[in-house]
Amino acid sequence: MSFRIFPHLVIALAALALAQPVSAHEQAGVAGGLASGLLHPLTGIDHLIAMVAVGIWGAQLGAPAIWVLPITFPLVMAIGGVLGVLHIPLPVPEVVIALSALVLGAAVAMRLRLPFAAAAVVVAVFAVFHGHAHGAELPGSANPLAYGVGFVVATGLLHLCGITIGTLTHWPAGGRLIQGLGAVIAALGCYFLAQSLGAVA
Amino acid sequence: MRHRFAHTSIVIATLVASAQAADAHIVASRLGDFYTGALHPLTDLQDLILWVAMGVLAGSLGAAKGRWLVLAFPLGLLAGLILQRASGSVSPVPAADAGMILVLGLLLAASARIPTAMLCVIAFGLAVMRGAANAGDVGPDTNLLLFAAGLACVGYAAITLTMAVTLAFRRPDAGASMAWRGIAIRALGGWIAAIGLMMVGFAFAS
Repeated sequence: MSFRIFPHLVIALAALALAQPVSAHEQAGVAGGLASGLLHPLTGIDHLIAMVAVGIWGAQLGAPAIWVLPITFPLVMAIGGVLGVLHIPLPVPEVVIALSALVLGAAVAMRLRLPFAAAAVVVAVFAVFHGHAHGAELPGSANPLAYGVGFVVATGLLHLCGITIGTLTHWPAGGRLIQGLGAVIAALGCYFLAQSLGAVA
Repeated sequence: MRHRFAHTSIVIATLVASAQAADAHIVASRLGDFYTGALHPLTDLQDLILWVAMGVLAGSLGAAKGRWLVLAFPLGLLAGLILQRASGSVSPVPAADAGMILVLGLLLAASARIPTAMLCVIAFGLAVMRGAANAGDVGPDTNLLLFAAGLACVGYAAITLTMAVTLAFRRPDAGASMAWRGIAIRALGGWIAAIGLMMVGFAFAS
């Protein structure tokens, strides 16, 4: 039965070997802008862990945080992005971004149940600083619109990843695992904070 | 059954991976400008985001409200194209496009129940803007009638398909178990609004 697949594999290999470059119409710099936008939140570990922690914390808090978060967070982050685009400086951005990983990781580790409004304010402040860091890169990108699309999508997917991990809280062992993950994020946040303050190289 | 699926998957993957540059005779013939008009907006990220946002917004409001766009949107594209060609001075304003992305995203994120007339006005206004922007790139040798027909057809197809997909995904009559779908559409609105907000900032910064 498995031998019946060989003719198809031969056809597939032949077709791939005969493939030629595609000359599609492309807007200038779209691919580059999109790739750099997508990669910017993913290649900065401090951004990545903070965004995932936001998603996990939202899942721990439950409704309405779990659904308000993905709707409003990108928008609040975009406000920071606009400040970055306009080159309006924020105080000690690296320190606050490192602090966001520490605080959000600690909130997950301790299963901190703040009132929704307070949690929203904490997340919003950090969102502005993260958005500022991304937005500052936008004017220099190959295609600003593609870069914006890339980093908003990447950030949204990181939240989704966090929310998905957060669903483990439905099981006792999963809840403990997530708290452990929160502790790891907080520890990394401590390291980044020390780094931004110049305490470690 | 599983083998048939594996075979089909291999054939599909092969076809996709071995895609080559399209060189169809019909593009080089008299009808080529029709395809130029149809493909032009699909190669512009600005058009793609705005059209998808408009279609998703209309689809999320239901078929009764959205069906008017099947006519209003392509007609708006034609009106924008004619306006640009008649005046010759209508050029795209980046801040207006960015502002429109922001507005559509906010309406989606807020799940705003806008009236049908307002929806039609927004769609027509957007289509006029983008029709004029697309007309700005028409060369002197281009057959304008064929270009306009291509643009209107792709506008009709894009808006209708996006609305249909959104309606099928949304399934408002499916009950509480499908409520996450509405939240997913609102989250998409949040993403679109965020992109629009940043582009507004960029438009004013540059």
